[in-house]
Amino acid sequence: MSTQDKVRIKQLPTGVPGLDEIVGGGLPEFSFNIIAGAPGSGKTTLAHQFVFANATPERPALYFTVLGESAIKMLRYQQQYTFFDPAMLPASIRFVNLSQVVLEEDLGAVLDQIIKEVEKANPAVVVVDSFRTMVRRPESSMDLQSFIQRLALFLASWQATTFLIGEYAEEELRDNPIFTVADGLFWLRQTAERNSIVRKLQIIKLRGQDSVPGLHTFRITDAGIQAFSRTFGLTGHVKNPPSQRRLSFGIPELDKMLGGGVREGDSVLVAGSSGTGKSVLATQFIAEGIRQGEPGIVAVFEERPQAYAERAASLGLDLETPQRDGKLTILYLRPLDLSVDETMHSILDAVQKIGAKRLVIDSLAGFEMALSPGFRADFRESLYRMIFALTGIGVTILSTVEVDESFTEFPFSTYSISFLTDDIVRLRYVSIDGQLRKIMVVIKMRGGNHAKDIREYEITSAGFVILGKRLTNYQGLISGIPVRSGGPDSMD
Amino acid sequence: MTAAPGMRDLAQRLVTYEAGAGETSAVAESPALLVFEKLRQSLGEFVGVAGFQSLASRALTLARPEAPSLSAAWVAADGTLQGLGAIETQIEMDKNQVGDGGIILIARLLGLLCLFLGEALTLSLLRNAWPGEVFDERIPAHGRTT
Repeated sequence: MSTQDKVRIKQLPTGVPGLDEIVGGGLPEFSFNIIAGAPGSGKTTLAHQFVFANATPERPALYFTVLGESAIKMLRYQQQYTFFDPAMLPASIRFVNLSQVVLEEDLGAVLDQIIKEVEKANPAVVVVDSFRTMVRRPESSMDLQSFIQRLALFLASWQATTFLIGEYAEEELRDNPIFTVADGLFWLRQTAERNSIVRKLQIIKLRGQDSVPGLHTFRITDAGIQAFSRTFGLTGHVKNPPSQRRLSFGIPELDKMLGGGVREGDSVLVAGSSGTGKSVLATQFIAEGIRQGEPGIVAVFEERPQAYAERAASLGLDLETPQRDGKLTILYLRPLDLSVDETMHSILDAVQKIGAKRLVIDSLAGFEMALSPGFRADFRESLYRMIFALTGIGVTILSTVEVDESFTEFPFSTYSISFLTDDIVRLRYVSIDGQLRKIMVVIKMRGGNHAKDIREYEITSAGFVILGKRLTNYQGLISGIPVRSGGPDSMD
Repeated sequence: MTAAPGMRDLAQRLVTYEAGAGETSAVAESPALLVFEKLRQSLGEFVGVAGFQSLASRALTLARPEAPSLSAAWVAADGTLQGLGAIETQIEMDKNQVGDGGIILIARLLGLLCLFLGEALTLSLLRNAWPGEVFDERIPAHGRTT
């Protein structure tokens, strides 16, 4: 069958930010879906968001409540969400309580009641919350599977997109015949990881279109559910071809060491122990970008944006003006239960908002700490996905990472993530002539040649990074305890 | 504590509307009972019979101290108001007193709805049962019951 012969399935907005992308563009019209999960996992909120996004007076939504939460209490709480528009009730959204027929009669009568209401209202959307509580009488003439089968058949014929909401535990998923009837199966989870709560959703099944597989984190705020796709909203985005353009640090000698600057779209790691000037280099990188007309983002985890900007100001770097001018965004991300996907969403939002070309993550250790414990275990994998996604859209990333200084080793990072980065600049302390001095070396430049020099540097009180000449008169510089092998050193 | 003035005003408008509409029936002969019956039907659809019965019973309990005419009234299991019509038929009782009782009961019921659902949603639900002009004046912010 050719493409033009195939029926075109209209996709409806889910009303949940981020979820449209996860389900493959929108929810298939006339689909029969089940939202399953434990109590408190956000099932009702998800259904409400869909209802409020799609109901109209001409094609309203019918929301059947059964047992459990009373309609009044449900509306009392649900109206706290910003998506809840009371003016849509009851012309566009009608709540129908089925508790009496469920309590007094059997599933056949419940089905008859639903059919009666649907025929009367001609709804575009039908929700049954919660269908599981309908099964009360073992002697019922109809079992739940038959009920759902007939309900699905009827509602599809009546051109309704349907959500059944049910409380299910994880282990009930397997071999459950009820789920075979559904076109879409949405599973919501809420798990405690140490002291953090992490919410995840999974599209276990969705007929007719490609959904993004895997567990996607979501958060419930006063705006309702917001989902964060594992593909960061970049599904279908064409990866930018590698650029040959070089981006300056604003430190000419460092640019020379890097073979002309950082290649656009690279991921750069600046590694060093505390006080070596990682953040200063990062700020220089952003400030130079702004001077060159390239907006930037600084994601900070260890101090507030105001403090970060003030510290930069003390080094002569003005971050306030570009923030006011919309050329710079300093993101503070420190809730301690973040997912990488959520962090990425904030960063991508900021990237798109100001057209950012440069991103600083200061620092990876702070980023890791801001994550929920469960996500920390997958930190490397998450970083890989994030770096790949951001560099794919042409953003150049500079991450700082603190390394434990050792006088016997020369590690690049505590995370074993050097393979994720294109370029590595290593800063470290060395003991020379009774002073603790600093050296800088470019370890790696994936995009081309770079200087092999080990150079001493200083950071002035005005924030300038002054690079000295190559330290040729010492052996064992990277050990941190070099031995003088020649005349006076380059900085003298 | 008495029913909030805003709720009484709204209840009065609903009762006046029903009196003007002249839709009397054998089931509910007074305008106040007509309003109550309409509320039972429209609210019962989404809160369920038991849900409406609970709300109405609470409203009646709150209204009784203000309206002695409601002393013999009760809310049946199906949510209908019983006893008020019988009192109305007793010629000895002041008609205004009975009418006031109905309005107070409805005011209390509307007050509960406002308390639980808020003014906007309550009005949205009421608009399903009455035409828009009845609600020309918004419920004042102080019109919530305690």
